[in-house]
Amino acid sequence: MSNQHYIPADKAPLPPKNAEVLTTCCDYCIVACGYKVYRWPVGSKDGGMKASENAFGVSFPTGPLQAWVAPTQHNVVTHKGKLHNVVIIPDKDAKAVNIGGDSSIRGGCIAQKAYNPKTPTKDRLQSPMIRINGTLQPVSWDLALDVAADLIGYTVKEFGANAYGMKIYSYQFVENTYAGTKFARRHINTANWTMHDTPANVTSTPGFRDAGFDNFAPSYRDWGDAETLMICGTDPYETKTMIFTQFIKPAIDNGQKTIWLNIRETAGIAYAKSKGNALFIQIDPGTDVPVLGAIARVIMENGWEDSDWIKKWVNNKWESSSGFGQGTRNTPWQWRTTWGKFQTKGFEDYKKWNLSQKEFDPKVAAGIANIPVEQIYQAAEMLTKPKADGSRVKTSIGIEKGFYWSNNTGNTNAISSLATLCGAGGRPGQMVGRFGGHQRGGTGGGGYPRNKSPQKRPGRRRQALDCDRYFYSGYTRLAHVVGTTWIQAMCGSQGLNDKFEELVTNNPNQVKSFDKAEIIKTLKARMDSGGTVVVNQEIYLRDPIGSKFADIVFPAATWGEENFVRANGERRIRLYQKFYDAPGDAKPDWWIFAQLGQRLGFDGFDWKDSNQVCEESSRFSRGNRKAYHMIKVAAHKEGKTLHQKLAELGTTGIQGPTFYNYQTGELMGTVRLHDTQVTPEQLKSEGRTQGANMINKKGTHFNSQTGKVNIQKHPWSLFSDYWAWMKPKGDELWHTNGRINEIWQSGFDDVDRRPYITQRWPGNFTEIHPDDAKRRGIESGDRVLLYTERVPNFRQTIKGVHGSDFNFAQLMKNGWIKLDKAAVVATAIVTPHVKKGTLYSYFIITSEPSNVLQGRVPDQISGNYNYKMGVCRIRKVGETPYKEDMRMMSFAPRNIT
Amino acid sequence: MTELKKKDGTAAEHGKCMLNRREFLMYSGTAAAAAGTISISLYPGQAQAKAQVVGYPRKLVGKLSQLRDNKPVDFNYPDEGQNAQCFVVKMDGAKAGGGVGPQRDVVGFSYLCTHQGGFLNGKYQAVGNNRVLGQCPLHLSTYDLTRHGIIISGQAYQSIPQVLLELDGDDIYAVGMMGLLFGRSQNLMES
Repeated sequence: MSNQHYIPADKAPLPPKNAEVLTTCCDYCIVACGYKVYRWPVGSKDGGMKASENAFGVSFPTGPLQAWVAPTQHNVVTHKGKLHNVVIIPDKDAKAVNIGGDSSIRGGCIAQKAYNPKTPTKDRLQSPMIRINGTLQPVSWDLALDVAADLIGYTVKEFGANAYGMKIYSYQFVENTYAGTKFARRHINTANWTMHDTPANVTSTPGFRDAGFDNFAPSYRDWGDAETLMICGTDPYETKTMIFTQFIKPAIDNGQKTIWLNIRETAGIAYAKSKGNALFIQIDPGTDVPVLGAIARVIMENGWEDSDWIKKWVNNKWESSSGFGQGTRNTPWQWRTTWGKFQTKGFEDYKKWNLSQKEFDPKVAAGIANIPVEQIYQAAEMLTKPKADGSRVKTSIGIEKGFYWSNNTGNTNAISSLATLCGAGGRPGQMVGRFGGHQRGGTGGGGYPRNKSPQKRPGRRRQALDCDRYFYSGYTRLAHVVGTTWIQAMCGSQGLNDKFEELVTNNPNQVKSFDKAEIIKTLKARMDSGGTVVVNQEIYLRDPIGSKFADIVFPAATWGEENFVRANGERRIRLYQKFYDAPGDAKPDWWIFAQLGQRLGFDGFDWKDSNQVCEESSRFSRGNRKAYHMIKVAAHKEGKTLHQKLAELGTTGIQGPTFYNYQTGELMGTVRLHDTQVTPEQLKSEGRTQGANMINKKGTHFNSQTGKVNIQKHPWSLFSDYWAWMKPKGDELWHTNGRINEIWQSGFDDVDRRPYITQRWPGNFTEIHPDDAKRRGIESGDRVLLYTERVPNFRQTIKGVHGSDFNFAQLMKNGWIKLDKAAVVATAIVTPHVKKGTLYSYFIITSEPSNVLQGRVPDQISGNYNYKMGVCRIRKVGETPYKEDMRMMSFAPRNIT
Repeated sequence: MTELKKKDGTAAEHGKCMLNRREFLMYSGTAAAAAGTISISLYPGQAQAKAQVVGYPRKLVGKLSQLRDNKPVDFNYPDEGQNAQCFVVKMDGAKAGGGVGPQRDVVGFSYLCTHQGGFLNGKYQAVGNNRVLGQCPLHLSTYDLTRHGIIISGQAYQSIPQVLLELDGDDIYAVGMMGLLFGRSQNLMES
């Protein structure tokens, strides 16, 4: 077999004493560890082994936890036109996040991300391209921008703003998201706009929002300060590593109790179990609501709820209703409570409701979730049973996608109510939040025009437009896709792919000329005939959105190639410094938006550099969790730019929202939101209330009308028809998918272009329980086919009229759901760490995209996908080379301690 | 091939000798390797394979007949300096990439986690058919010893460095190393 295999190197250069040192953060998971970039010219002397001879100031060989350079941490890049060595290692002086220089495997190898034509990064996009005669061909920036701007203008004029659709990352630095949203939302003002991970511009956690919890209120230290920590739908060790290794693991070692709600047992869970103080509740997909409802019931039946907290911080009947019913104000709460499905009159009302729900009987709940009933009682005890001295347990609760993408509204409502019973949400070590996915790099440059959305729920107001469904219906004439695969990232994506083929590739109007006027004419004719034009901004040519569908491709500059600002999952804002030249003609996304905006005659698109974009955007961050406006104020007082000021703050950065003391000149951050122990006097005395400082209620209260928590109902019936329909029939198994430690959020880098990682994960995999595998004759390393004829696809943009119009059963009855076939191959891993009856795949290996199997029926309340819900059958279709080849992949379980 | 025992022990001579054997192995495949006394398994790619053995000492690290299943035996390699702690283990019949012996189940690895240098002594385990090093006490990385020390789950920046072994009669020799030892900037230190 002549596969390419990675041969690990046995040396790596040390940076010399005089190497330049810049700071940045990891580009991947939300934790955003701090890194140092050491740069020195190729050809100059490398550092030596003695402390006096290298930039680390330590003698080599080094000991545990000391600085070291693995071969994967060195690269050669071009800086100001000249070749330079770079060594990128976690900041050994880090005072926050990855304190002392810890890192994950992803960030640890991030030096490999930088463009180097001698590595697999050589296919970075370097020139604008237009598809001419079926091939993407390099053209000048002017030609590509002129054509794109002309077509965008034409789309809006001829077909209306909503015919222009933008699908864009939510996270790829504030400068870019600001420019992109200013372009699409403020100026074009389209409702056909959404982010990379959701079909519509909606919240990820509707229950949190309606309860009054910010997703990222906690500080990382709160996860470690909790005495009992409940973790739902994730293993932080795998996907936000530093939260686990820096904060949770030391806490577990010191006796912290953990409760895990998950379908598979990975390393962090296994470690917690090995310490004897963990409860692992291995549920079936989508069954969180009955389990949480039952735990809440046991707590209330025992009187273990935090009564003092509830009395002070939970809305009663009148408070729950305050601010509502006054016309058509567009509050999410009003929206979702139209039917009285969620709103309560306070704790007693919630209790009464909970006790009346048959699914919250522990026995019934355990039956639905397929778990031992004792676990419900154990969880209730661990969360809330007072200690022997009568004092309360400090409990925190963190959630992530495995949880909130299973039953989006139901699960997030239920966990909010459970958290409130535990007294979690507003005190050190007693917090509730998301652990997080991507870093927080969004700043809105324009409001989302919800009222222009043609989509409407029964009864009231319009709902953010489901861009997939809108595209599927053929209304999107120009799709502007920025930094996302769009197709494979969405549920039921085979249908979406077919539609792209129909509207783009199979349309007869294809460009066959290099002449600008002819190109524009042809593509306008395509739109006139009902087809779609695709404009794609990317760093690599992605398949199929770039390689097959894009008519125009703009090469983007990214991490390390421009100065950028972003926050992490505890709102910590830092500068990601430019340390090398972007490949070829690649330009940062903000620049591309600026050029398009100028050509369309939009005002305010004449930025000279990324700092200018950042400084313009800062005022729109005011009031946000990561408000960085006051950094600009401080910077300007000191005669610096915002970027310069942030560079000074290095890898520590500052936690938003930021404040500035006009008397002392001190720049201040915010440890946690909803910090109910902080008083108004304190805020005043610290100088946080003067000048341009913005105090709002989320700092010391909750995000509701009154500043108190809304305790909400979480009816199983809103979801149970979908769940029951989907539940495996015959030979089917549940199919769910998600992230994995080694390749999370870095697929385009890791899986495709990092030989060490490619060797570990050469393709998609599906974990199957040994019992399920045996019955089907499947062994580890077999190539398996996952296939189904039951992918429900919501196929039109409709307006709901009657109350139950958007219930799944009603949608089926009324013919809005089309059942699609889907199939995808994977490598089988037979392992006991996944729940029997459930398959688990990686979510987005683009060549084997497992999302094709997942139901494309958005949560009827929130409009989000429930990505984790799918079913399929599985059979062996052959063997992969990895079954016998000892050089690639590993089939060992992830829960070995 | 018994004349190898008598050969010049210098690195240069060793390297020269090894290349011939590598070439032989690369063309002869696993069947020949299993049949002969030399059963080292290498990655394809002649030039790269050369790089992994040139300059490395040939060191006797144990005798096949004295290895007990799943009991690692410690040795230092490629020198007696810092961070050279390694082990050789017979993995109770679990066939391994780079494994020597009739069952190809004898392998050698570094003891230092390639994440942040956690010491993995005592962390060898046989779990079902799997042969695992870890979890590392520092940040919980685990390595698959049947697959050239590839990461199973964890944070390491590279696979755990594998000591290339060679079997000569009953003698097990360390002859090279795949991957950089933690804490070193090169495996073969100039001193």
